[in-house]
Amino acid sequence: MQVWSWSGFFDYLTNPYIMEGALTTLWLTAVSIVGGLILGFILALMRLSPRRLVSAPAGAYVWLFRGTPLLVQLIVIYTGLPQLGIRLSVVESALIGLTLNEAAYLAEIVRSGILAVPQGQVRASRALGMREAQIMRYIVMPQALRIIIPPLGNSVNGLLKTTSVTSVISMEELLRRTQVLIQEKFMVLELFAVAAIYYLLITTLWDLVQRRIEARFGRAYQQNGAGAESDQR
Amino acid sequence: MIEIVNVSKWYGNFQVLKDCTTSVAKGEVVVICGPSGSGKSTLIKCVNALEEFQQGSITVDGTSVGDPRTDLPELRARVGMVFQNFELFPHLSILDNLTIAQEKVLGRKRDAAVKKAEQLLERVGLSAHAKKYPLQLSGGQQQRVAIARALAMDPIAMLFDEPTSALDPEMVSEVLDVMVTLAREGMTMMCVTHEMGFARQVASRVIFIDRGEIVDDRPPEQFFGNERSPRAEQFLSKILHH
Ligand SMILES: Nc1ncnc2c1ncn2[C@@H]1O[C@H](COP(=O)(O)OP(=O)(O)OP(=O)(O)O)[C@@H](O)[C@H]1O
Ligand SMILES: [Mg+2]
Repeated sequence: MQVWSWSGFFDYLTNPYIMEGALTTLWLTAVSIVGGLILGFILALMRLSPRRLVSAPAGAYVWLFRGTPLLVQLIVIYTGLPQLGIRLSVVESALIGLTLNEAAYLAEIVRSGILAVPQGQVRASRALGMREAQIMRYIVMPQALRIIIPPLGNSVNGLLKTTSVTSVISMEELLRRTQVLIQEKFMVLELFAVAAIYYLLITTLWDLVQRRIEARFGRAYQQNGAGAESDQR
Repeated sequence: MIEIVNVSKWYGNFQVLKDCTTSVAKGEVVVICGPSGSGKSTLIKCVNALEEFQQGSITVDGTSVGDPRTDLPELRARVGMVFQNFELFPHLSILDNLTIAQEKVLGRKRDAAVKKAEQLLERVGLSAHAKKYPLQLSGGQQQRVAIARALAMDPIAMLFDEPTSALDPEMVSEVLDVMVTLAREGMTMMCVTHEMGFARQVASRVIFIDRGEIVDDRPPEQFFGNERSPRAEQFLSKILHH
């Protein structure tokens, strides 16, 4: 056992291999959140359908993916599916697993956002002659979006860290690469400290981005007139 | 213009509308009043198919509302409606509240839609507020925007469901003024309202509904004279106390 090594810590802080891992964590999160949002939106619309034949499958999906651990889903996709002749690479498995899992959570967020838009808005849109798809696109979704941005931001934050689960199928994201180096160099604390700093850095940056997005969408809802002014710039 | 013939409607076992028959000719202004829960909103919403009815028929400008083959969005685009709670779109600027349906429903070009919107904002005295958002306006201003939004579609008739009852008293007249002008210009209007001054001023006929039934349907001179039903009498004595 060696004691804490500052030089080791600083070396790994700027290590390209670790940095690349952090980048992988970033794009894994970005792709899964976008994919999850698209799928989640479809699932949310399905769940809101009055037809059982449409809503039930979406309900079953959400139940299944929220009710089982992501770890299990990833292992099934990566090592279980080949048994059925479906062979996916590590990257494909990780992306698919994260997206499918995230979609289940985002579906619930999107659904509650849509339900939070007052029915009177739909009535007013209908009275103007808008068709249901137009009402969804131009009236309900933009208003739902504002409502779901805070929980959506939380999801992104959570997902940034959840991507580390894909290390079990040897996806080379930040945690996996940290572990690989640990096994070579035995600098356990130093390397985990570096990984923690990267995670903190990313999540902190995201917090800033999220706050800006919230402000942007909240503009129309400020009663003091600030929204109108900033609009004229 | 609007023909309502023997219309009945039920919510489960509860009959909201009982065999209602009336009509609104082109250019007529019909005021509907009655106690809370009597079915005023329901009746007016049946006219643009925001509510379904089970019996009878409603025709708007020759189009049968209850006919399953009727293209309801197309019909609604021709009839303007103003709600008690304004129902402006809070995420859109005032200008965009007035242009969205013009562009998406009528397919007007942006320029034309904006021009129309600006004319109407001018008309309701709100040109200075085009870039603001609905929640930055007072209730009276929001309701005037809502009227302008409906007018932007060049409707053949306008429906009003208690347009002033959510407003602070000092804002009622600014909205009524717009409605009076509209009525004087010959707009066909169906107005659920308890503003009896408005009814006296511009109504062609006053309809009194009680428990889903049209009890009175007569010109204002008669209704405010001595020819109203005892039920209307009772109702009027209550609201005129305020
Ligand atoms: N969706 C619904 N399901 C069941 N009953 C309803 C529904 N909507 C309205 N009602 C009932 O139908 C009746 C008529 O309602 P309506 O809103 O037309 O009344 P109103 O005359 O407009 O009253 P108010 O002056 O309070 O606006 C009321 O008794 C109401 O409780
Ligand atoms: Mg009502």
